[in-house]
Amino acid sequence: MNAARHDPRSEPVTVRFAFTPAAAYVRAARLVAADVASHAGVATGLLDEVRQAVGEACTRAVLRHRDSEIDDLVRVEFSIGDRFVAKITDNARDLRAQSDSRLAASHYQSGTRPNDQDVLEEDTLSEEITLIVLGGLVEDLVVTGPDLEKGTTVSMSWPLPGGSQSTEH
Amino acid sequence: MRGTSSDGAPEPELGLSLSTVGAYAVISVTGEIDMYTAPQLREAVRQLAAEGRMRVAIDLTPTEFCDSTGLGVLIGARRRLSDAGGALVVVCSNPRIRKLLDLTGLDKVLDVREAVPSE
Repeated sequence: MNAARHDPRSEPVTVRFAFTPAAAYVRAARLVAADVASHAGVATGLLDEVRQAVGEACTRAVLRHRDSEIDDLVRVEFSIGDRFVAKITDNARDLRAQSDSRLAASHYQSGTRPNDQDVLEEDTLSEEITLIVLGGLVEDLVVTGPDLEKGTTVSMSWPLPGGSQSTEH
Repeated sequence: MRGTSSDGAPEPELGLSLSTVGAYAVISVTGEIDMYTAPQLREAVRQLAAEGRMRVAIDLTPTEFCDSTGLGVLIGARRRLSDAGGALVVVCSNPRIRKLLDLTGLDKVLDVREAVPSE
């Protein structure tokens, strides 16, 4: 298998895909992440971390799309160069839209059963927990956005054998 | 619980088995807890509470994977059971999930044990 692994001295390799922001596809994204990381040569002991972190970032993106009531695809990109870099981008761009949707959610809650409110609260909680987990798990983590033009991008990287230890993305 | 969704995609497996140890209703979880499967676990706790089983242990020792959505369900279950005068115990000797509880500080908030309390 080692022969098939990426040589960090060669040209960077990119794997890119996008998925409908639905819970059912987060698993696929995290499994692809672990597989691509394994092929890239990320240490076996770090593969669980890659799987967990990419899953958390994708979960967060799906929650953000759900919060903003948008169906745009969640974009995922892995690049293999000096390091293994994962970028997960959502399209929940504008803070004003988000506060509108929160307002809509609070109207919705008033007419719902307590159980539904639990689900809403747990989802809100989960979005916060995803960042706590990512912060605790990933040494090299950068979250950018959102602004009026774009959503957020979660960028993470892990070392590759023979690659630089620099965390420049 | 393996099956296919309406669009034919294979569904991730989550296994929930119920037992009783002492005063606790035990939900033993196998498979992967994520935002897709977590509602099944949430519903299992809710069902037990509806039956008046307010002392619940969720055993994550055999769980293959748990993400933040699963942690959200644990927090929600703890709150719901405590509010009703019950208790939630999280049983976990699985190092991956212990690490997750540790780095989120939930090991301090939740009652995490190596085994189901026998009394």
